Amino acid sequence: MPSPADKANDAPALEVIRASRHFGAVRGLDDVTVTAARGEFLTILGQSGSGKTTLLRIIAGLDHPTSVAALRIGGKDVLGLPPNKRNVTTVFQHYGLFPHMSVGQNVEYGLKLRGVGASERRTRAEAALATVRLTDKYDRRIHQLSGGERQRVALARSILTEPDVLLLDEPLGALDERLRLDMQIELVELQRRLGMTFVFITHSQEEALTMSDRVILMRGGRIAQEGTPRDLFERPCSRFAGSFMGVENIIDGTVADFANGIAGIATPAGIFHGLWTGVEPPRVGQAAALLLRAEKLRIGTTAFADSFEGRITARIYKGKYIDVAMETRVGVIHARAWTDEDLTSDTVRIGWSAGDARCVPAEG
Amino acid sequence: MSAPGTITRMAADAPPEVRPVHVRAGRLEHRLGLLAALGGFGMIALTYAPMLWLGIMSVSADPLGGLPGPFTLEWYDRLFTDRRWVGPLLASMGCGAVVGLACAASGLLVARALPQLRARGALLIAFLAPLFIPGVLLGAGLFLYLRVFLGLRLGWWSVFLAHFAWAYPFALLALLVTTTRFDTRLNDAAADLGAGPWRRFVDVEFPLIMPGVVSAALFGFLLSFNELARTILLRGTATTLPLFEWAQATSHSSNVPLIFALATLVLLASLLLIGVSFWMLFGRAADR
Repeated sequence: MPSPADKANDAPALEVIRASRHFGAVRGLDDVTVTAARGEFLTILGQSGSGKTTLLRIIAGLDHPTSVAALRIGGKDVLGLPPNKRNVTTVFQHYGLFPHMSVGQNVEYGLKLRGVGASERRTRAEAALATVRLTDKYDRRIHQLSGGERQRVALARSILTEPDVLLLDEPLGALDERLRLDMQIELVELQRRLGMTFVFITHSQEEALTMSDRVILMRGGRIAQEGTPRDLFERPCSRFAGSFMGVENIIDGTVADFANGIAGIATPAGIFHGLWTGVEPPRVGQAAALLLRAEKLRIGTTAFADSFEGRITARIYKGKYIDVAMETRVGVIHARAWTDEDLTSDTVRIGWSAGDARCVPAEG
Repeated sequence: MSAPGTITRMAADAPPEVRPVHVRAGRLEHRLGLLAALGGFGMIALTYAPMLWLGIMSVSADPLGGLPGPFTLEWYDRLFTDRRWVGPLLASMGCGAVVGLACAASGLLVARALPQLRARGALLIAFLAPLFIPGVLLGAGLFLYLRVFLGLRLGWWSVFLAHFAWAYPFALLALLVTTTRFDTRLNDAAADLGAGPWRRFVDVEFPLIMPGVVSAALFGFLLSFNELARTILLRGTATTLPLFEWAQATSHSSNVPLIFALATLVLLASLLLIGVSFWMLFGRAADR
């Protein structure tokens, strides 16, 4: 348990400075620096193989970096220490609950290891169970619980020892849709209430956007982009980041011009404009991509400077809108129609305001 | 038969009639299942019939006569006056206990490591290979090596060695059932909560693989307790219960009926022991 003196020191909750983890010739993690402030909700976002799980295991102590500049948790150097010597706990994707112990015994196991007496353990375990809305489940067996309940038990077990950092490894992955959405909100509320540092690992850009203070997007063992959810969603720094953050339409081309933050991208259908969100300013002739979100495209209007024609090939009814796929000179483009009136003819013109489009470098 | 169009008209007039459904599919499977169950019961009968016969003959006046009855407890009475069997029984129980504990302890070390190794298949075959050697041959081989080649004096230690070699593969298999099923990620979870290697083993791993450990010890005990083929050659001056029974059965025909009573008692005690251990392993688990 951290002493008040530890709480008072203002070292970041987590500092991973220039960590690499090589598996033979494969660079699972390649010179990555991640820090988290106390009380921050930090999300590590990426596909499988992006290095996010390697990073988690290195923080937890289940794996060790092949080279690193510093590895500190709560200001304390933990390099080379096993998991049981680090003040960090993990909510595993597989929950990791002990099947031979009751719910209560699972939750208070960390306290038992720290020599806390039986009655105090029980009181605190019951309080933690109440925190995750599992009151009166103390004596249940693990196999009597649903997936969502197991998730909560794992959560209660991990927060009870008041770690400097709580790691969450795709904790919502195994839950059904409705429960997942509820748990997203619940986790954020819990984190605010406890003021605990959460490092949340996920492959879901939606979870990253809804829950985090800050997001680190990973790719191939490196950090692809880092920023607030708004930064990542509205100002992707690369073609990869845009694509990962769910941009429906990506048109490849080269940079034709650049002025006042707006870049022109030369494509087979002409030069189109958008806000340049790459880290470095663009060079003319550089390979680049134009990112167009489907909901920013306007159908059947000629009011915009940037527009082109398309032939509608599919209309998919989505309830709130109609997903329209169209064949254009730059490939298949998806747009959203809000009423059937937008779709009276098969050939339509789509346009957008340059401020709604993004231009990014093709690489990096 | 109704003319085309009838159905349409009927549907308009009244809801369609329902009729009971008899599904014929799956009957073959059902019959095969019954056959398998019957076969299983047959096997059980075949296994237990000789033992039952042993019990019946042990309370018969002339066990070697071939026919049961007239019934008497004479042989049991004689067992309690002629107590030469008590020494070998205690010796066998002691030897069985030592072999059982040795099998469980050393088997645990191997069974924990084996599932994590790359060469686990080859290693497992190496561990199980002694099963393919006839007991008498293994006994003879050990005898030739220890007594003739090394010139050692045989005794309980060589009996233990032979029993251990015999029981170890079985014990290992029993342990592997639970160690391969053990989810090593639970050790990660325990470490994550602050448990060192010893606490992880005591609090998490051992309770979960305990059934295998108990089974291994039980296998070791029973296989040692009943072993004869290797013991004959490696006994030195030691006498185990099977050895005593065998000696009695072959040399003094007047004592043979005693063996029936003794074997019946041992059988009952073994069944009780097995029953209790199974209850401990599975019965209590079901209560939870």
